[in-house]
Amino acid sequence: MKMKLIVTRRVKPLRYGGVVIPLLSLIIGVVISQLILWAVGVPPELFYGTMAGSFIAPEMLRPFVLLTILGAALLVAFIGAVWNIGAEGQIIWGMIVAAYIGVFVAAHSIKVPLSELPKYESMPGAQVLDATYGVVSVVLWNPVLAGLVMILAAAAVGAVWAAISGALRAYLEIDEVASTLIMNYIAYYSLNQLATGPMRGLSVQAAQFGRTDALNDALRFPRLPIPGTTVTTVEVILAVIAFVGVWFMLKYTSFGLRLKILGSNPNALKAAGVDTRKYITLALTLSGLIAGTVGAALFAGDYFFLGKIDNIVSPPTQNMGYTAILVAWLAMLDIRAIPISAYIIAGLMQSGATLQANLGTMAGLSGMISGAAITYTLIGFVLLTFSVLRVLTEYRIRFVRGGPK
Amino acid sequence: MSEAQTKTSVFTQNPNSSNEVVLEAKNIVKRFPGVVALDHVSFNVRKGEILALLGENGAGKSTLVKILYGVYVPDEGEIAVEGRRVFITSPLEAIKLGISMVSQVPQIIGSLTVAENIILGLSKYGMISKISRVKEFIREESKRTGIEVDPDIEVWKLSYTQKQLVELLRSVILGAKVIMLDEAITFLPIQEKRRFYEFLRRFVGQGGSAILITHKIPEALEAADRITVLRRGKVVGTVDAKKTTLDQVRKMMFGERSSEITYERLPPSKPTEEVVVDVEDLWVLGAHGEYAVKGVTLEVRAGEVYGIAGVAGNGQLELIQSVIGLRKPVKGSVRVKLNSKPIDVSKVGIGKIRSIGVGYIPDEPLKFGVSMENNIEENLAMLPSITNGIIRWGRIKKLAESLIKDFDIKTPSSKTKVKLLSGGNLMKVLVSRELMVSKKLLVAYNPTRALDEVTAIMVRKRIKEKALNEKLAVLMASEDLDEVLQVSDKIAVMNSGKIVRVFNAQEAKREEIEKLMVM
Repeated sequence: MKMKLIVTRRVKPLRYGGVVIPLLSLIIGVVISQLILWAVGVPPELFYGTMAGSFIAPEMLRPFVLLTILGAALLVAFIGAVWNIGAEGQIIWGMIVAAYIGVFVAAHSIKVPLSELPKYESMPGAQVLDATYGVVSVVLWNPVLAGLVMILAAAAVGAVWAAISGALRAYLEIDEVASTLIMNYIAYYSLNQLATGPMRGLSVQAAQFGRTDALNDALRFPRLPIPGTTVTTVEVILAVIAFVGVWFMLKYTSFGLRLKILGSNPNALKAAGVDTRKYITLALTLSGLIAGTVGAALFAGDYFFLGKIDNIVSPPTQNMGYTAILVAWLAMLDIRAIPISAYIIAGLMQSGATLQANLGTMAGLSGMISGAAITYTLIGFVLLTFSVLRVLTEYRIRFVRGGPK
Repeated sequence: MSEAQTKTSVFTQNPNSSNEVVLEAKNIVKRFPGVVALDHVSFNVRKGEILALLGENGAGKSTLVKILYGVYVPDEGEIAVEGRRVFITSPLEAIKLGISMVSQVPQIIGSLTVAENIILGLSKYGMISKISRVKEFIREESKRTGIEVDPDIEVWKLSYTQKQLVELLRSVILGAKVIMLDEAITFLPIQEKRRFYEFLRRFVGQGGSAILITHKIPEALEAADRITVLRRGKVVGTVDAKKTTLDQVRKMMFGERSSEITYERLPPSKPTEEVVVDVEDLWVLGAHGEYAVKGVTLEVRAGEVYGIAGVAGNGQLELIQSVIGLRKPVKGSVRVKLNSKPIDVSKVGIGKIRSIGVGYIPDEPLKFGVSMENNIEENLAMLPSITNGIIRWGRIKKLAESLIKDFDIKTPSSKTKVKLLSGGNLMKVLVSRELMVSKKLLVAYNPTRALDEVTAIMVRKRIKEKALNEKLAVLMASEDLDEVLQVSDKIAVMNSGKIVRVFNAQEAKREEIEKLMVM
């Protein structure tokens, strides 16, 4: 008997698709990347060894935590079909404000005669930043209070920065994809203006490189006591709050529910009497608020100063504002999948970096392939596979007996 | 042609209808999560006949038609066109096989002309025809049917009737052997409806076939050759339209519940003196920047059902939308008095009045009424008048379950996405929700669209009961004149953006209203 193959659209989504599709994409994407890297001379055993190690390396903890926060931040907007491509700018403004509070308000730098330096060296809360110029940082606030204010201020400014695009979209119908993206560059250059201008520090490095003074040790966020990781306790707490908060909001509040409906059927929302313009603005505001906190975390947990961005493609955000778009997307806009998806992306980022380091020791290959290139090859193929699988799994193939005569 | 002649030529069965089967479905099974929509359904359409496909809400009519049109693929069963087994996996395929569909909502592009729309259809399906020939065809058919359609006019300028004719003509030009009409002419005024049936008669007389889906059973009896009745996903039977009766068909469709059907005017309500809606000299623009509402003034009192009759596209939609606050008027005012102080809706918009207890049943329920991707509970919780802040899902679940029970909504559970419900059940979700939140006022457009007779009458009774017992004011526009006549205390006829006359229900005469609707 003749068989005929027909392709039909699924009525209900694939069961466990939310887990199966990303995992399958990860495996296929990694294998494709490996084949390509093999072609340029990377030995398979080194590749897979590094990959396996990278997913359990303590170094990947920090990107994992930060991408979870940012993934949750972007999801808040994306779920309402409001496209926040501006997490970069929101993070940058978070950094700027955190730096202002950390270096100018909660502590301040003073220039002292070199003879008085020894006095400051032993003084609690004071830290010598520069022994040649005699620059000392003096803490004025309680560190816990300072940390809290840095985070809240960063959140607030991130929210305001995003709200501008939100209001433009909601009330003037200006595309938020373009406006949030453009505002990232405004933020980068604002940082440069401020770091080299009004916020420039007193120390010799600050004068030389155009940057702020360093954050006083007492105000730096403490690291998690795990060897090898640079993640701070504050970042972990922020991630938990962001994850649980967004999950709760989407599941148990009318705001969250309406945000979801804003994404799928704004007309029904309007007819229900909901002001969709307000919701569009709020979606971006909340998204920017969460992203802004990452700025404080990056400043007080990692960089400790604000420096001029020399190369606009490698800002201090490490482009995580963009990478987080992939996190949210890989999670299929399901908040529960955000940590998993952040983990996968963080693992791939770590793999690239480690592979580069390992290749460096191999003759003939050192310096040939950059870590970033490997990272993006991996991420690229994983997401490409993911997007193909996502579309394919909407269909199913069936065989029916008795083809046409 | 005189009225009498029209009747005989249109509403008699076609003696030439052969026994040659053009389209056949055998043992079709289609399951959706939690329900079997079609359970071994077999039926056929003969060459040269009009077959009416009838059934209550959720009986499976739409699913069956969608399968024949390639929107769904059956889980089991076979489809054959002219005796040859076919696999219809997309509408494109269906049209290539000569099966086309005209639905209730015109699917043509407003900014293109009539001829362009048709040419676009042709090229999409790989057919070529000269534009001059297409225009000639449109002119000829327009003359024949007596429904004036200029091939060079942009579609948005056409009336609903004209648009539906264009849809039909497009099907014919695309070489349709079988045209399926899914409530496509249900809402036309009777004279124009006659012309459509005349057109269909001519089409089947020349060897075509038609499948007619309608909730208007008397009409099916008059217009169709055979009637196939579906109930709960199964074929109850196929009868010769000439040899059956209205009662018999209703029994087949509804069983015992068919006794609930009545088209008698519901008992009048007792309005108070309190004016709830006060519309004064309202001017509203339509979607294309032309005036759709031209100076409408009306008053609806507490406890009164104010029905607006009219053919689709005469400004009722825009009027309703500006009363609820979704469309800003250019001139005039809409005042809604819910408590002591009247609210100027044109200034505050929809949010304010919706949140304090105004129900709204919108046109295009799929677009404006419910959120398809969400489940029944979420579709309740989305209303600001139901939840605000933290959602207590336990309470929402109870609400949902009581509505499901009360309105006999067929759904696997209250957590089923509404897109998986049948059209009628989906409409019940919307109507029951809006009746529940209506405290002082209900604004509605076609409140029983897509509902079967039994359910539609039940909804009308509920509306009337609320007006009578809770002094609910109801402003309702409907394209279904039966509905307006059955439920209204006052009947306003709207034509070309104006209210041409207002009747007290007792004095309203159907013929007079119909004349005013199309004059």
